[in-house]
Amino acid sequence: MKNISLLIGAFLFSILFYKQDIGLNLSLFSLLTIIILIIHNKNLFKKKSTIIFSIVFVITAISIFFYRSNLTIITYVVTFLTLIGNVSEQGSSIYVNWLNGFYTLIAAFFHRNLNTIEKDEKAIPKKKTDYLHLIKIIGIPLITVIIFIGLYKNGNPMFSELISKIDFSFINIQWLLVSVLGYYLLSNISKPVRVAPATTYDLNTGNSLNIKGNIAEEKLKKENQLGFILISLLNILIIFFIITDITYLISTNDLRASAFSNQVHNGINTLIASIIIAIIIILYFFRGNLNFYKDNKNLKTVTYAWIILNLMLIINIAIKDCQYIYYFGFTYKRIGVLIYLLLTMIGLFTTSIKVKQIKNFWYLFRVNTLTAFTILIVSSTINWDNYITYYNLNYAQSMDFNYLLKLSDNNTFLLKNYADRNDLTEEKKSLIEKKHKAYLIELKSEKWQEMKYDYFKIKKDQ
Amino acid sequence: MNIPSVIIKSTILATCIFWLFTISKGFQIDMLLLVFLSIIPISLCCTFTILLTIAPFFWFQGKEASDRSYNRNKVVFNKYYPFYTIAIFSLCLYGAIKFSFANSFFISVFFTTMQSWVWFAKSNQ
Repeated sequence: MKNISLLIGAFLFSILFYKQDIGLNLSLFSLLTIIILIIHNKNLFKKKSTIIFSIVFVITAISIFFYRSNLTIITYVVTFLTLIGNVSEQGSSIYVNWLNGFYTLIAAFFHRNLNTIEKDEKAIPKKKTDYLHLIKIIGIPLITVIIFIGLYKNGNPMFSELISKIDFSFINIQWLLVSVLGYYLLSNISKPVRVAPATTYDLNTGNSLNIKGNIAEEKLKKENQLGFILISLLNILIIFFIITDITYLISTNDLRASAFSNQVHNGINTLIASIIIAIIIILYFFRGNLNFYKDNKNLKTVTYAWIILNLMLIINIAIKDCQYIYYFGFTYKRIGVLIYLLLTMIGLFTTSIKVKQIKNFWYLFRVNTLTAFTILIVSSTINWDNYITYYNLNYAQSMDFNYLLKLSDNNTFLLKNYADRNDLTEEKKSLIEKKHKAYLIELKSEKWQEMKYDYFKIKKDQ
Repeated sequence: MNIPSVIIKSTILATCIFWLFTISKGFQIDMLLLVFLSIIPISLCCTFTILLTIAPFFWFQGKEASDRSYNRNKVVFNKYYPFYTIAIFSLCLYGAIKFSFANSFFISVFFTTMQSWVWFAKSNQ
């Protein structure tokens, strides 16, 4: 039954993907994947985390059907690996899930080939197949016959004509190879495997720090002093930076895009460096026994102050970016800055939890990768091109029209509607018309496997 | 560890995979001579790849792992194979994207190295 499901899956895989672009096929493949996983790992699908990852996987697959973009495809791949990794080991961290998922996808077949030998051998003592003899009785006659056909072909024109009439074109080898690839992939994911060293290490590593050896008071005192002075000086420096930055922001009237762009990008560069250094310094000082040192209160206070000041820096840049968006509209980079700022805020927040609750580095890594994963999924469910276009056309004080045209086809119908209802220049109208026509041709020429939601929109209009 | 046997098996496997993917684009009987000639470079590639990238794992790490040779091989396999797989897959994927005319070569490299590891680990059972 299990092998039949893989064979049917391989056949469907070929139908869905042989010489096809991405579209509805990816959504259907996600269902196929889940069915195969459930058939082969029934018990694992009783756990909440596996069910949640399966739902998330289906959601990302549906997102691709509604608005295909690079972001949705990347998210689809990441959720796919997460689900497979979760089935292989349900208690591991998300980044270990990715590693296990990736390893399973590419090499589980070979891994299982070795690791199941011992078990099988103990269960049923199988008769050893003589592969060499098998190769001999099939390979040698076949090769010899082919060689002689080649020889006789040159010696006899009638025989040559007869041989050349043999037509194997009805066998589509490429289609068969895609089926074999499908079988290989589905067989790999049907019984997920683990990267043993990484998974074991992850499972054995908790989130909390423990006292290592004896607390050397004198050494810790010196380290505490160094940390306190260093972080206090950095606090003073960041305060000066924020004050001068706010003063500049209030006093300047320069509303040119280039000036805003410079400010935001310089601010982001400063922020990236500042946050990375901040987290490294905090991780360094709070890596071990200093967490348990009785006089570390002041050090902790200046650390929290520094985290708060970095948060203020983030808010300052967020305000600049929002102003930038208000005046000149959305772009992917400006949205990217906001997402980066959100991630940074969460990163700083989790760092403060690490200091307060005496957590280790792995805690930070686990929580932050999970946060990044969640944000990736949420952002993939948004049709960004459509939102950017809608906001820029209706609310932005000024905007770059060519930028909207260069966005993917996800905004084509919105642009067309806008062009029909508003008085645009002839040049702009013709550019929109060109994009719209090209998109309609593309949608109509797609096969059912490549179908997108927009196809139904044009069907409805006709 | 029977290295010559692994090299021979790998050469046969690599030749089969390479030509299966090549003839899927079109086959003529005149290509047969090339199939046989290709065994020489393929066997050289297999020999170098196995001796330089796979066998050292078993030579240098095997002795520390365990007493029984099969268990020893299995420990080495479980420890290093996943990372080797990920590295070789990434390189082959990069190669296949960068030099699309040589897809068959990179596909055969990937599958042959994967199976060679299994043969190595199974040897001396």
